[in-house]
Amino acid sequence: MTTLLERSQYCVERARSLGADDVIAISVRSESRQVRFSQSQVDISQQWNESVTSVFLAKDKRIVSTEVRNWAMADAALDGLLKLARASQANPEYAGIAEGRFRYPSARTDPKIKEPGDLSRHVHCAIDAAIEAGAKRAGGVLQTRNEQVALASSGGPEATDDRTAIELSIRAFSDGEASGHGVECAARLSQFRPERAGEKAGEIAVAARNPADGTEGRFDIIFDPLFFGSVIGSLSSMASAFYVLAGLSMYAKKVGKKVASEAVTLIDDPAQPSLSARKFDDEGVAVRRTVIIREGVLKTLLHNTTTAAQFKTRTTGHAGWIAPSPFCPALVSGSHSKEELFEEVRDGLYLTNTWYTRFQNYYTGDFSTIPRDGILRIHKGELDGSLKNIRVSDNLLRFCKQIEAATKERQHVHWWAEADPPSFSPYVLARKIQLTKSAM
Amino acid sequence: MDEDLAEFALDLAMGQQASYAEVRAERHLINQLVMKNGALDALLAAEDEGLCVKVVAKGGIGFASTNELTRPEVKRLVGVAVKLARSARRKEPIVFAEEPAVDTRWEVRQEIDLAGVGPEQRIEELNSIDRSLASLEVAVPGRMLAASDERVEKYVVTSEGTRIRSKVPRLNTYAYLTVKDGAETQQAYRQFGGCGGWELQNQWRVREVLAAEAQALGRMIREGKKSPEGKTTLICGSEVAGIAAHEASGHPTEGDRILGREQSQAGGSFITQAMIGTRIGSPAVTIMDDPTVEHSYGHFVYDDEGVRARPRFLFKKGLIHEFLHNRETAARMGTRSNGSSRSVNYNREAIVRMSNTFVAPGDHTEEELFADVKSGIYMKSFTEWNIDDKRYNQKYIGREAYLIENGELTTPLKRTIIETTTPGFWMAVDAVSRTVRYDAAHCGKGDPMQGIPVFTGGPLVRLREVYMK
Repeated sequence: MTTLLERSQYCVERARSLGADDVIAISVRSESRQVRFSQSQVDISQQWNESVTSVFLAKDKRIVSTEVRNWAMADAALDGLLKLARASQANPEYAGIAEGRFRYPSARTDPKIKEPGDLSRHVHCAIDAAIEAGAKRAGGVLQTRNEQVALASSGGPEATDDRTAIELSIRAFSDGEASGHGVECAARLSQFRPERAGEKAGEIAVAARNPADGTEGRFDIIFDPLFFGSVIGSLSSMASAFYVLAGLSMYAKKVGKKVASEAVTLIDDPAQPSLSARKFDDEGVAVRRTVIIREGVLKTLLHNTTTAAQFKTRTTGHAGWIAPSPFCPALVSGSHSKEELFEEVRDGLYLTNTWYTRFQNYYTGDFSTIPRDGILRIHKGELDGSLKNIRVSDNLLRFCKQIEAATKERQHVHWWAEADPPSFSPYVLARKIQLTKSAM
Repeated sequence: MDEDLAEFALDLAMGQQASYAEVRAERHLINQLVMKNGALDALLAAEDEGLCVKVVAKGGIGFASTNELTRPEVKRLVGVAVKLARSARRKEPIVFAEEPAVDTRWEVRQEIDLAGVGPEQRIEELNSIDRSLASLEVAVPGRMLAASDERVEKYVVTSEGTRIRSKVPRLNTYAYLTVKDGAETQQAYRQFGGCGGWELQNQWRVREVLAAEAQALGRMIREGKKSPEGKTTLICGSEVAGIAAHEASGHPTEGDRILGREQSQAGGSFITQAMIGTRIGSPAVTIMDDPTVEHSYGHFVYDDEGVRARPRFLFKKGLIHEFLHNRETAARMGTRSNGSSRSVNYNREAIVRMSNTFVAPGDHTEEELFADVKSGIYMKSFTEWNIDDKRYNQKYIGREAYLIENGELTTPLKRTIIETTTPGFWMAVDAVSRTVRYDAAHCGKGDPMQGIPVFTGGPLVRLREVYMK
């Protein structure tokens, strides 16, 4: 039985011997577990085991890749990959892969997540907390991740990583349409408190009872970390140099320019403990804290070696297989307590979650997104009833310039494809955000 | 594919006192290409083979998958699945609606076998599209093209005696275009897809379609006027009718949503079990979901639970008529599955999914639809869209839209917006044209997310007295 690192090393050596110029191989063995539940009952418990070696190679600037799942077929797959490269065409933009050796941050895995026992106990703990907070039923998903990763590269980097994480997403329902959503994300089981997410979801579901129809107009809004996690996902993804080059980002020609208010400092810090913590990117470059936006000014895009060369800069350590991508973005905390932030709002809204964010034009940032779960009215800093049937319809660059303040308190958030990738967000106050609603 | 290993897994599961077991073994041969502004950024060829075991034990469901295809691993996997099922501790045990056992095989024919299409040909297809776009008079500085195909072999075997072997080749091309004129930009996303061989790529005429798209966006920038606000007549192009059929008819009639199983992710539905027969649209509105459309992107003959596919009438003459069911949701609603259980691969559970969802054709010609409009708007295609998680409030913004004056298309219109409710949309329909056109799409649902291939589609659909923004 070969180790993961030996598999990666073998692929690199063999591909090089077959004539490849650059080769990177990443072997991953993963075991993920999940419990899905609805109506306060478990619907399905799942486990996925996967073992795969992904191989990327370049020959005369022709870049190709494959995935080897059946190790007995590795030689044939590599032979085929070289043939594929010969049949391909050169990418003049290709600028090679990272070279040299790197010092990697230490991994902080939790062996307890690897053998978590019966996960449904955490589910019932969260459901009970939601019910105790006043909800009538709850649904959601609990998932653990356990991955061993080994990278070898003809450029020099060689590294292994051991990644573990646990997350819970729970949506609680009270009367009629009233619902609340809470998440709990942790890199260590000892820091995982499912009851906290259940309680928050239950409390919002209760506060969201008897919603009135919302109205159109511009409103001062406090965004929950779960809602703003979705915004962070859009902002950080659009910072990928690949999407800028493809015309799918509002950050084209904006490095060094104001793209948000001074309250906005956005970073990516993959080394900190999180759901998506990692030691290196897909070229084997050691990850590091990258400031994307500092006090409203776009400082850098996210790069791999090739996009960095196009922008005459250096890789930021965000290589993905094709496009650079954020791993664990975070909005830097503000100075307000949560209570102080709410006191800043005389008449406004507290939006607890959103979904279905879609762009009319990525280049300009025109978008809309649909708040879901508690849409709570704020009057003189206090919660004052709930609303329904509204949509945030604005421009994301303008939206970011309307951000006025954020809390010291931050939460690690992730759920489904909406608040993704996993991020850290405080509560955020933005002024005069445009809301629309259905018109008959 | 190792059918013996699948049978081995099934026998093991039933030996461990599962009340039901299902094994799905799949092999996917995959090709993917990504080209950005003429540069080939990715060319992938890969094989993915594995199997999953789904068991019902003590009233719960356990699911486990692996790509390590050895007997010891499969033995371990079955043990895991049974243990997971038993851990559910459900008050209401999971049961499945009755289905006859089936022993059959089916496959989708290819005129030009994908196996015989080399990488050079796949690359040249994207090159020719990119060259065509780059040579237009209108500037297209953003050209993101991607193409993929996969040949899927599947073997589904259940403890009830079902054994189904299938082979489905499927291909897909999509494009993000950014058109620029002066300082203004417009963007379009277009997707083409179907089940079959390389002949589909030729039929789609992607070069011509995308060139026309880019030119239309250029015209929108140069000549487009602000769209008039207020109540008017709206004619939706087939692309707009198709997205409305998918979002505001297909999704809200999914049985698992109605029962709340997806409520924490893709959401629920404003439609309840008791609403069968309730009016939701005008008598002109019939909406179908039909997996039997040959060579469609959402085509299948048997679903992933071994249930025979058939056309479903979701709305019939304006009334809610039928929900999409798998065997689990059907049992809970006291009915039969209508073959809606689909998954994207062996490592994902099969859940209730749409296939090809479209507004059924009406009895008007397209000319008749326009001739009867003194003043109105034609929204040929859409860009930004979304809908709330109960599938009630939705918004579509026009990508290509025109003013209609005395039955004729006149001024191009920018940012034509309809923001309305599901009954508000369908009740306003007064006429539907005869010809259905389809668009390929990937529908997102499930956790982990499963982007399943579907068609959306429709004829032209005319709405009276709707509020446009």
